[in-house]
Order: sequence, then structure tokens, then C-alpha cells
Amino acid sequence: MKFLKSGLLRAGLLLLLLVVCFLDTSDVSAEYGDVVINRQAEKNGMRPVIFPHWFHRIRFRCKVCHAELGFKMRAGSNTITMTDIIEGRFCGACHNNDIAWSPENCDLCHSGKPGLPTGVFGGHETSGPGRW
Amino acid sequence: MMTKKTIALLATALAFSAPLLAESGKDVYSKVCVTCHGSGLAGAPRYGNAADWTPRLAGGMAGLYQSALKGTPKGMPAKGGHLTLADADVKAAVDYMVGAVKDAAKLAKAEPEAKKEEPKKPEPKKEEPKKLEVKPTVAPAPVAAVPSMPVAEAASSGAAAAAAGSADANSFNRLLKPASKRNLPPPEDGIHDPTNDGTHALQPPLAAFGALPKSFAGNRINWVEAIGQKKINPRYDRNDPKAEPIVMDLNIVREVKGSMPDVVYPHKQHTEWLDCSNCHPAIFVPQKGANQISMAAILMGEKCGVCHGKVAFPVSECRNCHSKKKDMAKVASPADAGK
Repeated sequence: MKFLKSGLLRAGLLLLLLVVCFLDTSDVSAEYGDVVINRQAEKNGMRPVIFPHWFHRIRFRCKVCHAELGFKMRAGSNTITMTDIIEGRFCGACHNNDIAWSPENCDLCHSGKPGLPTGVFGGHETSGPGRW
Repeated sequence: MMTKKTIALLATALAFSAPLLAESGKDVYSKVCVTCHGSGLAGAPRYGNAADWTPRLAGGMAGLYQSALKGTPKGMPAKGGHLTLADADVKAAVDYMVGAVKDAAKLAKAEPEAKKEEPKKPEPKKEEPKKLEVKPTVAPAPVAAVPSMPVAEAASSGAAAAAAGSADANSFNRLLKPASKRNLPPPEDGIHDPTNDGTHALQPPLAAFGALPKSFAGNRINWVEAIGQKKINPRYDRNDPKAEPIVMDLNIVREVKGSMPDVVYPHKQHTEWLDCSNCHPAIFVPQKGANQISMAAILMGEKCGVCHGKVAFPVSECRNCHSKKKDMAKVASPADAGK
């Protein structure tokens, strides 16, 4: 039983690894600075969130989110929940139907391909060993 | 190659889009409703929680359908925010959730009431045995996403790093994307899900980049110039469109070993975008000589690499930073003396 379980688990892991690898290396031509946020989303049955830096920096300087709103500048270091957003923290500071559209438009943010890992996409070249 | 692709496609299809095709109440629930009704987010009545549902059932099923379809002032968005869902699917999801409560609490009161109003009732009843099996897990989470998530998370860091290195090894210089791969619209960019309706509502980058000054890397937009030429005027304050940035005009020259020109770091361009606290003191100690910076550190995503290579121009643009010619006299003199 134990063996079966671990075997199944291993097979599942392998398959998922394959999927993840595929997703990661396939024609990812994401825009520079796109961030995939998927620490909570897929666990809760939603698509991963994609945050486009380019779209936001046309409208706001970096400082607004990274100093005022408290977004740490490291992918994966901000635990953002829908509760936070609805109560006006993080994305919800602007996405409140006042400055920007409200969080009921789920699929505008939750628009990533399933299985994407959290991280900066779009041809970042400086995120650790082996990337250069 | 092809087979790998199909396997992966199949796997993703199995893992995700299957519920999109068959819209039973349970599918709709696990795809849409669970986000809030799973955990009780924003005061939503929790799945299987009789206490949450009893007062709402008092109004009958018609009232619940109405709330689900049109939304409520308490925070329920119309159709859970998924306006593309058919009315019947939304109702089926309501039936599914109500069915779960009935199982859990055996609400003697609500049951006959709902039966009177809804001839549809038998449907959720059929699902009862299935549901009882699921019960112990409390939050009957999305069938597909849950098993995949922990593994994907665990695998992501290792797999991503390994895959990035191996599969792309033979493609020539991945810094030079062909023009056909630059600034693609969201449905084609490889990370957005083209089967998601919202993806198609997003603005394609090129629609916004049209008039902005160009560069040779990153978004291929010279963002500093874009502000300099007043092509864009991003807000410095979240609420106040008129807030002016506090700009500090101070260049720091960093001498560099070897033959590269010295680095000139301009506070001006950085403070146009950033607050002092973004860099000081966590990333750069605000003291002369206190910061050891190397290209290796930058490539690892530290120091300048916190932004450069991710959102600001990447290190391929050497001369943007290494811009001060060295005084070559010193180097030349010992050679002269040797003659």
C-alpha cells in the first residue's frame, strides 16, 4: 500500500514536472516584467494571477506600490489574499472601483495558464544560478 | 517533441479545462464559487455550513437564485463575477451548495420549503452519496487544482531552473528574441490562458507602447525617456494625480576594476520612479564605500539586480551604467617608462 502510494505519487510528480517544464520552457514570450502570482490562487481553484508591470508603470511610479502599498520587491514574498484585496490592502488599495476597477472582475487578473509557478516572467535574466 | 507537447496539453486539459466543458452544479461550484464560498471570504455563506445558510434559506430558493444571478449589496457579485455563465449553471451551483447544507444539517425546516418551490430539487439529491464521501475534507476543493498544486509548487523552483537551462541550450542567445516574439498580446504570450475570457479583454502591450521612446531591451521601451519627454506621467501618489516626485539630482561614480568604463549612478532617474526607502538601507547602505557590488551579485538578482533584469533594463545594456570613460594616462605611463 505504502509502495503503491509512493509510486503513484512519484508518477504524478513526474507528470506534473513534465507539465511544469513544458510550460516553463515552451514559447514563453511573456512581456518583460510580467509577474505570475500563484501562491494562493490555484490552491483555491482559480487561475494564477498575472501582474503586468508595464501596464501599471505607465500609470503609477514604482514607489506607489513598492513603498506606499507595501509590496516587497521579491516575487513570492508577498502573501496576498482576496480578503486583503477586498478590505483594501495590496491590489485592493486601487482596485476598489474608485481608482481602478473592482475585484469582482476575477478573470482579468486570474488569467494565467494553470500550473505556472510564482515568479517574474518575460525574459528576466538575473534571478539566480543558471539563468545567465 | 510533439508527443511531449500532446501529453502536456492533455495533462493541462485534464487538470483544468475539463470542468469548463461540463457545467454541472458541482463543476461550477469548484470552478467559481469555491473561491469565496469555500472559506467564507467576504462574509460568504460557507459550503456545507448550516449556520451560514439557514437564514438565507428562509427566503426560499427563488431568493437565493436571484441573489446569485444579480448579486447582493453584501458583496456577492452577479454570477460570482463570471458573467459569461449561463443562468441555469448558476442555479445548478446554488442547488449544489444548498444540497450540501441539507446533507450536513438535515434541515427539517428548509427542506419542505425548498421542495415546494423547486421542482429541480431531485438533482442535488442524487449527488448526496457522492458528497458524503467528500465531506470529511470539509472544504471540497476544486477537483483538479488541488492535487496538482502542492507538487507544482514544490517542483517549480527546481524544475523551472533545470528546465530553463536544459531545454533551451541549443537556441542561440536567448537574450535576442526575434521581432515576432516581442510584445505579444496576452492570448499569445505563453503565460496568459487563452481559454479565459478576461485574457482577451486585456490591453496588448503594443497598443500602449505606440508613441513611447524605444530601447533595445526589456519592454523595448525607454521608460526613463518616456517620463523625460512627458510621453507618460505616472502618478507619484496613489490618489493625487498632481503630486510631484521628490527628485534628487546626485550622481555617484563607482570606479570599476578592469577595462570597463566606470559606473555613473544617477539618483535623478531613480528618484523619478522610486522612493528613497525602496533602495535604502535594505539594498544599498547609504554610505560611501559600504556597498560591495559585483556583476555576479547583480546577475543573481541582488543589488541593482533587484530591478535591473526584471523590470528595469537588463544587464545586456552595459553602457547605460558603465558610461564614464576611464582616465587612461595612469595605465599608459608604466608602459612608457619601460621603453
